[in-house]
Amino acid sequence: MPTLDIEKIKKEVVDSQLWRSVFRGGVWKDTPRDRAGHIIGNVWLHLHPVKVRPRALEWLYTWGMGGISFALYLILTLTGVALMFYYRPTIGLAYRDIKDLEFAVTLGMFLRNAHRWAAQAMVVAVIAHMVRVFLTGAYKKPREFNWGIGVLLLTLTLFLSFTGYLLPWDQLAIWAVTVGTNMAGATPVLGNEGPLGSLVGMRINNDVRFTLLGGTMVGENTLLRFYVMHCVAVPLVVGILLILHFWRIRKDSFSAAPYVANEEKVDVWPHLVKREYIAAAATVLFIMVWSILQNAPLEAIANPNVTTNPSKAPWYFVGLQELLVYFDPWIAGVVMPGLIIVGLIAIPYIDTNPKGVGYYAWKERPFANTLFMLGVFMWFALIYIGYALRGPNYAWYWPWEDWLMPKAAPPPTWSVFGPHGVAAYSMLLGIPLMGAVAAAWMLLPKLIQKELDGKKTMGAFLGAVALVAAVGMALGKMGPIEGAFLLFFTGASFYYGFVLPQRHIRALDWPRYLVTMVLVISTMSVLLKMCARLAFNIKYVLTIPSISMNF
Amino acid sequence: MSETNPNPAPDSTPKAPAAPVAAAPAKPAAPAKPISRGDFLWAGWSMLAAFFAASAAAGARFMFPNVIYEPSQKFNAGQASGYDLGVSTKWLNEQRVWIVRTPSGFYAMWARCTHLGCTPNWWGDQNRFKCPCHGSNYTLDGDVIAGPAPMPLWRTKVELAPTGDLIVDKAVLENKPGKREHAPYFANYASA
Repeated sequence: MPTLDIEKIKKEVVDSQLWRSVFRGGVWKDTPRDRAGHIIGNVWLHLHPVKVRPRALEWLYTWGMGGISFALYLILTLTGVALMFYYRPTIGLAYRDIKDLEFAVTLGMFLRNAHRWAAQAMVVAVIAHMVRVFLTGAYKKPREFNWGIGVLLLTLTLFLSFTGYLLPWDQLAIWAVTVGTNMAGATPVLGNEGPLGSLVGMRINNDVRFTLLGGTMVGENTLLRFYVMHCVAVPLVVGILLILHFWRIRKDSFSAAPYVANEEKVDVWPHLVKREYIAAAATVLFIMVWSILQNAPLEAIANPNVTTNPSKAPWYFVGLQELLVYFDPWIAGVVMPGLIIVGLIAIPYIDTNPKGVGYYAWKERPFANTLFMLGVFMWFALIYIGYALRGPNYAWYWPWEDWLMPKAAPPPTWSVFGPHGVAAYSMLLGIPLMGAVAAAWMLLPKLIQKELDGKKTMGAFLGAVALVAAVGMALGKMGPIEGAFLLFFTGASFYYGFVLPQRHIRALDWPRYLVTMVLVISTMSVLLKMCARLAFNIKYVLTIPSISMNF
Repeated sequence: MSETNPNPAPDSTPKAPAAPVAAAPAKPAAPAKPISRGDFLWAGWSMLAAFFAASAAAGARFMFPNVIYEPSQKFNAGQASGYDLGVSTKWLNEQRVWIVRTPSGFYAMWARCTHLGCTPNWWGDQNRFKCPCHGSNYTLDGDVIAGPAPMPLWRTKVELAPTGDLIVDKAVLENKPGKREHAPYFANYASA
């Protein structure tokens, strides 16, 4: 009786000309040579080295976030291409096609959910990847340039999200893009509503906003432009940068971790590739479960004339939306995001501390870690405020307050220095005063060469602020809540913006020191302006309306 | 490099020895070079750079459409006599305009927040326009009293046609106090 000899069939299949023509390498004997050959001989795997340092495999060291970001990018590409088969980017059809995807296309709802949730997960994963790389000092020499590419990839991840959410053509879409492109319209010089814009001849139909929109309002051209950017142009750029990013990682020996004596490298196949597959599989599973359990939001069809109340950006941009409450659009929408991007790219070049490369080093890198994590924390604090504490009319609602409860009209705002400020001549007073404060803040931490006693300095500063608050309360100009706000925000700004730089970076050379202080003071100005607006209704500290210079 | 140096320094040819050689035969003139290698490369690379710069400029220009298909900014807001005193939101959904009737006439405001372009809502009980995007507040006149908006709401051109209709033109805008209260941004209309 002939039995089925599985081993014999397997051998015949594997030894056949067809199989051998596809999978090279002969019989797999799991020797080091086989493992190396598997990496070198495979076009998809050969961006890996053959061997890798064991530290590069540790979950607790890498968090696996770079690989997971890439897995999400692949999920987004696949689901995105699928969605394109049923989506037409015109005003009359876009929203209906999304509805069809939800209710009339097999798996349409699932694919749209997966695309939406993978996009949000990718934002989180990329930010987490950046935080990990920062905390382990993995951006330091020779990896400075790759950190910069990473920052660009983070920016493009956010831009892909931004261009993607116009496409459903619902209320969220149109108003998010209206606000976003109007920020572009507030760009200094290049935007018709930005400082100096009208002076150089920018109008509503020839500025940078006009090219983004392909018109003077969000319309047919805008939808098409965002569609092309979202589906083709930006993914192409991201792909090119990803290749560069991966190539550099490999050339820089895959891990910044310090060498230990007698360190022996391990084979990438199977040790690293196995982990990558597990991470990718877990990511796919996570996105699938999430997409089954929760449907992607879709608001009412876009109405270019009426805004929903309140109208909020997707969560990762709500921090920016909240920032726009405190600063003029050209500052909050253009200069500050620009400073964040340029500042992040500049970090490896201004951080001269040689310690802490490849391991978590809170003690050895107190200034860099503290300020970076403060920035990350502030970004998420702003997101929390915008997401959870803003209700109808974008008024402040505490979590225990009902949105149906009408809020009293907010009190009128005022400006400290400016034409409608404390006095008619106040601009003449305000400009030198603001300049002097800014210059002293910029220079003093470096000019005071003796290290200040942190506790005494903070005590003296908080005492002075408390005195001001007490006088203010005695004069009836502020209540205890305003006093507490003043103490907290100015105290935090003084500690992070003056005491820490004085202690840690006063020995830095002047160019690096000045760049660092510009970034530090810009960060602190957010805290100070929030305090001024929330507690004291100050709209601008200094305003020169004729040239749109408002701070 | 030294072999092909197209522009030898003046003193690179060895000087004649001190002893005068009066009858030294004149060197035949070097064949005239139409262009040196260095100049040629300079010209070539410059042209390539100019080509890329021009392409970038052309690409940027390409992104500015020459013809756009957008709705007319002018519309007929109906009979003036049909409006009551105060703010009318009748045209908000279709034309994004508030028609405000005062005892002496009409003005119309473009319902676009001057901050980042959302549409504020009119809250009659508080006499304010409030923007849902970043919380800007405006008075009935369109002046900012709270929130981040940098300037007053825009008023549009509004005219009373002989038929008694209000004609609103959103392409003609004004928001400066002193100008915005007069024609063409205000249509006198004596209450009958």
